Amino acid sequence: MQIEQALESILIADCGTVATKMLLLERVETRYRFIAQTEVLTTINPPWEDVSVGVMHAIEEVEAITSRTLLSGGHLTIPRDGLSGVDAFVVILSGVEPLHLVLAGLVKEMSLESARRAATGTYTVVDDVISREGSLHSPEGAWARAIRDFAPDAVLLVGGVDGGASRPVMELADAIALGTSLLASEERPLLLYAGNAKLRSRITKLLGGLTEVEVVDNVRPSVDKEHLAPARDLIEQIFLEKRLQKVPGVEMLSRWSNFPLLSTATAFGRVVEYLWHREDNTNRGVLGIDLGAASTTVMACFDGRLYPSVHGGRGIAYGPLAWVKKYGLGRLQRWLPEEISEEQLLAFLHNRELHPGTVPQELSELWIEMAVVREMLRAALRIARPVWDVGADISLYRDMMPYLDPILISGGGIVHLPSPGQALLAVLDGLEPVGITTMLLDVNRVAPALGAVAGIKPLAAASALSLDTLVPLGTVISPIGRASDGDTILSMKIQYDDGSELDVEAHYGELEVWPLLPGQQATVELQPHRRFDVGLGRRGKGGTIQVLGGLMGLVVDARGRPLRLPANGEKRRKLLRRWIWDVGG
Amino acid sequence: MFLPYSVVNPLTLIAVERRLPRAGEVLVPGGARVESFQLVAKTTARPQFGIVNVARELHLPPKKVKQALKVKVGERVSAGTVLATRGMLGGRVSRAPFDGTITGYGHGRLLLEAPPVEVQLTALMPGRVARVWPEEGVTVQTYGAFIQGVWGNNREGYGVLQLAVRAPHQPLRARRLDASMQGAIVVGGAGLDAESLAQATEMQVGGLIVGGVSPGLLPELAAFDFPILITEGIGEIPISSAIFALLRDLAGRETVLSAHWGARWTTRPYIAVPMPAESGRVVETETPLAVGSQVRALRAPLRGKTGVISELPADKIELETGARLAGAYVDFDGEVDFVPFSNLERIL
Repeated sequence: MQIEQALESILIADCGTVATKMLLLERVETRYRFIAQTEVLTTINPPWEDVSVGVMHAIEEVEAITSRTLLSGGHLTIPRDGLSGVDAFVVILSGVEPLHLVLAGLVKEMSLESARRAATGTYTVVDDVISREGSLHSPEGAWARAIRDFAPDAVLLVGGVDGGASRPVMELADAIALGTSLLASEERPLLLYAGNAKLRSRITKLLGGLTEVEVVDNVRPSVDKEHLAPARDLIEQIFLEKRLQKVPGVEMLSRWSNFPLLSTATAFGRVVEYLWHREDNTNRGVLGIDLGAASTTVMACFDGRLYPSVHGGRGIAYGPLAWVKKYGLGRLQRWLPEEISEEQLLAFLHNRELHPGTVPQELSELWIEMAVVREMLRAALRIARPVWDVGADISLYRDMMPYLDPILISGGGIVHLPSPGQALLAVLDGLEPVGITTMLLDVNRVAPALGAVAGIKPLAAASALSLDTLVPLGTVISPIGRASDGDTILSMKIQYDDGSELDVEAHYGELEVWPLLPGQQATVELQPHRRFDVGLGRRGKGGTIQVLGGLMGLVVDARGRPLRLPANGEKRRKLLRRWIWDVGG
Repeated sequence: MFLPYSVVNPLTLIAVERRLPRAGEVLVPGGARVESFQLVAKTTARPQFGIVNVARELHLPPKKVKQALKVKVGERVSAGTVLATRGMLGGRVSRAPFDGTITGYGHGRLLLEAPPVEVQLTALMPGRVARVWPEEGVTVQTYGAFIQGVWGNNREGYGVLQLAVRAPHQPLRARRLDASMQGAIVVGGAGLDAESLAQATEMQVGGLIVGGVSPGLLPELAAFDFPILITEGIGEIPISSAIFALLRDLAGRETVLSAHWGARWTTRPYIAVPMPAESGRVVETETPLAVGSQVRALRAPLRGKTGVISELPADKIELETGARLAGAYVDFDGEVDFVPFSNLERIL
């Protein structure tokens, strides 16, 4: 309680792969406000290899902005001494090498799929999957070689429902033991066992003498049940110990801070959870997406339960190249409003990896960047969505997004796009939301920082969030249904705060934008066509809603769900140019 | 303003770490003078291994395999050696798939390890051993010219530096590579093609330096046994004027080329030209950016161009994309352009 009362000023360092963001939060009368925000180059990687170098630069910039002294003799002054220093310092990190895993299991679509989902709870990369499936005999040599050659941080062994298959799981364990024994002791991976509970003691006996073994509940205790939380929490804990706490320079930052290190994804998840509770809307979920240079984080909250999904190696700079090798360039090319050769596209992706902190200077490079945003979001959602336990009233249509309000958009990959319209278009194409959604843009990259503060000072986080730190992009209405291009699918009467009214119609195939400024509200009467559902219960059902204004205003995405792009290249490019025009260029 | 940087320096202290891939033996003491070809450390590579599932091959339950074995753990065997038999004439036989040593037995299977292969590490750069990393390697130091690249094909070598183009924007053509370039580190220009690569192999060049390479060629470059270093990026990109001018001055000198490259620049490729000097300019990484600072543009349309900062405007400037960003006006050989800070790096 003493800490709670003493915190007048909080400094938050958010160290990403490319940028280190620094925010200063201070109590002004009874509320907390952002006093300063700055962004500098992250120094985790060579030639610096010391995260504190970038943090020091950022603190010096905050000192310059605020004309206050925070550092004394190369150290942060904590607690505050008069006007110098701050009361608390919080560090969150994402810009570290993800945890390298090898997954071992029996059936790809069952236990191994669950293992993969458990692994996406934090920053991980799956180096290899070893599986019995598809082979008549157990390829022990190949399995053991995979363990030895990849020498991952950990092997996650799953398989067999509780009380089920034993022998195939033990064959995998044998091969893991062999591969592990061929590595020097300091290179040996941790063994995380989350399979058939009956085998726990045998697995521990077999591998315990070789390496550290951690046992948690089965990720698939029965064929129809998935239980991810214990495995996910364990992987998060290992990430914290093996990665975050070992970042060069983090020791010094930890000495300044009274609070535990936190991953950016965990901090971001807290904000999404908070938004769900704030909205108190049980027939909607809340979604947060954070697209950074090296990872994409998807945090969904339904019925108060958070579904974290972190995709290491799937960012705007690091990841697209590997993704293209797997899925081809076609998926990116379909989003380009002008013809760009495969050679140019590939060169762009390579150069983006070489210089991850750069921004597009030419329109053609901007179009590629937006295409990458769309596909990284789609790729992340494909993995994240299947585990969302969503009630039938939130998800009426199979293969479509459940109702979400709000959607919080964060991360340099999106918020650094030149215009809010471009950010909105990339997100609409990447997520394809349905029904009525408020879009919040984390322009100042404060969401993860506030999530970190929420852990130590919930009131500070809540009051800072309520002061419009998350900038509304606007309200988007995305009707579900099919019609011919140009058909009227929605009629609306918009009543503005000042009493003026606007009667408008939305036409199928169009992206329509009507003005509604940030801070303004409007009452909108909606009357969809009988074949269209706007999220008010069923097709054809209209109603009156209150909507929030934003940088874009009121948007109707009448392009249909799922979104279909013309196969003809010229037609498609023309359409994409029109959509870009519709959202302001 | 705090920017990333690349070193392009005519005379500086060069420190090169030479590390073994796994623990081994360091062969030179601290302070020793070493030559490029001299061995400084050695180790053994992880041996190849195989599992011989004797139980499966002999159709025996694992418990009965031990009686059928003809070899013992620790025994050396050649490819084809009988490891175990079942029955007499016409019975089943299990043989060694390759030369090696039996290193383990269990559950009816034998573990066979191939003979260890020695990995040798040379000094690569002539100089003085400034630091010994016990069991890991050494740091070799000297003074000379140092240029950092952006990508390489993970090979290394040394030889005399020769220019095969007259200007940095000219791509390397096969006809420019002749027998006089055998063993030489050859400077191309804006790029290379399959024909010039084939000619470089034929002429046995010691290494290639180019501004950029077509992304389609990248997977092939790993197969060449000489180092290939890229100074600017992927695509046909001229070598930046600052680097080309320095390389032209260094032509004819013995040059070290390390094209080792790791994602996120955990390892960065470099060109080092040792000089008979006992001092050099220290690379100052913390000096503030100012008018007159040398910089390089990292993104199209100016990618690879080097120039000097002519103005640091207080206001943000609008780009073609519509973004308004802080940045600098840079004088690129007489032509002044605005470049956002995000797309600049310092040349030190």
